[in-house]
Amino acid sequence: MLEFDQVSKSYPGGFVALDRVSFKLEKGEMAFLTGHSGAGKSTLLKLISLIERPSVGRVLINDVDLSRIRRPHIPYVRRDIGIIFQNHRLLMNHTVFDNVALPLVIEGFSGKDMVKRVHAALDKVGLLDKVRCLPQTLSGGEQQRVGIARAVVNKPPLLLADEPTGNLDPDLSKDIMRVFEAFNQVGVSVLVATHDLGLVARMKYRTLTLKQGKMINDGLLQYQEDPL
Amino acid sequence: MSILFSGRVSSGASAHKISFGRRFIMFWVNHVRQALFSLGELWRTPSASILTIGVLGVSLTLPATLHLLVKNVQQVSDSFTQAAEISLFIKDGTDDRQINSLLKILQADNDIARVTHISKQQALDEFADVSGFGAALTYLTDNPLPDVLLVLPKNTSAGSARQLLERLSKERIVEFGKLDIDWLTRLDAIVGLLRQAVLVIAILLLGAVLLIIGNTIRLSIMSKKDEIEVMKLVGATDAFIQRPFLYSGVWFGVFGGLLAFLIVEAMLWWLQGAIGSVTSLYDSDFRLMAFSVTEFFSLMLLAVLLGLTGSYLSVRRHISAIEPTGP
Repeated sequence: MLEFDQVSKSYPGGFVALDRVSFKLEKGEMAFLTGHSGAGKSTLLKLISLIERPSVGRVLINDVDLSRIRRPHIPYVRRDIGIIFQNHRLLMNHTVFDNVALPLVIEGFSGKDMVKRVHAALDKVGLLDKVRCLPQTLSGGEQQRVGIARAVVNKPPLLLADEPTGNLDPDLSKDIMRVFEAFNQVGVSVLVATHDLGLVARMKYRTLTLKQGKMINDGLLQYQEDPL
Repeated sequence: MSILFSGRVSSGASAHKISFGRRFIMFWVNHVRQALFSLGELWRTPSASILTIGVLGVSLTLPATLHLLVKNVQQVSDSFTQAAEISLFIKDGTDDRQINSLLKILQADNDIARVTHISKQQALDEFADVSGFGAALTYLTDNPLPDVLLVLPKNTSAGSARQLLERLSKERIVEFGKLDIDWLTRLDAIVGLLRQAVLVIAILLLGAVLLIIGNTIRLSIMSKKDEIEVMKLVGATDAFIQRPFLYSGVWFGVFGGLLAFLIVEAMLWWLQGAIGSVTSLYDSDFRLMAFSVTEFFSLMLLAVLLGLTGSYLSVRRHISAIEPTGP
């Protein structure tokens, strides 16, 4: 599904954000991406969503080399990837419904079909009753879940999340992770970047750890396995 | 269309194998919806929209007014062209037989539409009537006025009328011919100059309009930078993002054009009385011509095209420049 092949990314000025990173995420697999701030988590996600291009190496999704994607085709690639942002990036002057419907409108859905899908997505994150609200009136956790609904509304095969629980308390974080698990169970590949190591350890999924741009761990987080 | 996952059905239209006809209808329904949405956006930012529409309307008013001015002046000069009449003064002492034979020859001439003979006596009677010298003229021992043939050329343009005049002046019994057309050529030249000036002014103003609309759209793009970034991140193409802005440009054009039309109409209405009193003094049947339907639609089309072009220029530069910086 998702493959990094000896990917390096350096920025002008010589800062190396990623250093020969290789890993493979299978179809239907769920994994965490951890590391301190500045370890390269965001850069890695930017390479997948084609916000940035790698300096060296190849990023492949479904065996398609992303370096072959020209600029006019980038939007179509992004439609296949659901992205959840740390600061959720909702459109604050539009209702929850409009926010979640945005990817569908972009793809040309309309009418009943669109309404059905938006309601299904909001139902999955448990916010069906907030469909007519403005995002400002929602709590932080609810806003984040609206962001998740928007990312999954067009049923992308790959889901990326960047610090989805960054601003949430542990209980809400657990709820959000459950939502991701639910999507994973219906066959969606999920990659969650987070620095919440405790949460990662409790969830017992494959964990990729970055440190100063290098991949230092691929597998379960061993040291967190001990009972607290 | 999915590039990465060939089997994935992602478009709303292809998901249900909708027929071509229905898709065609949906295409237009979507466009109408977006057009109305853009109209709503203008409504939500009334002050900025009104300013832009006002500038656009006033800028279009000037060329439109000048165009009407040229059109009306031309109407005046056209009606005078009808009077491009050649007067042939007959030599004194020519007898009626000679005059009548010339009259016949001229009537048969292909270049001449009409010939009228005004005899000495007729001329004197008319002069006595019009001049008010009635009584005084009776003291004249003989009639000093010559016979006159009034010749109306078929082709009333200045050049060909002058050629005809030269030819007719060579007739043996013609003393000299007169064609009062110099002032007409001058008027033509002035109208031509005016038309050139209108063109130059119009081009300058339309250029200004393009810049104004471009700038308004640029500001509105900048104010929606975040929204555009999010849309790009969830897979919107540049074409999709720019469409509402293009529609805003079209709406600016529509309202600006209407405003210009209304201003010009108001101006005409205002001037109607003044012009009426002037023309009645000159005993003329001149009537101020307003916009024809074609001209109205040309004005609207021009305004809409300006709005669209202005916003397109702005949108093309600024929307591709906004790139999401990160998830």
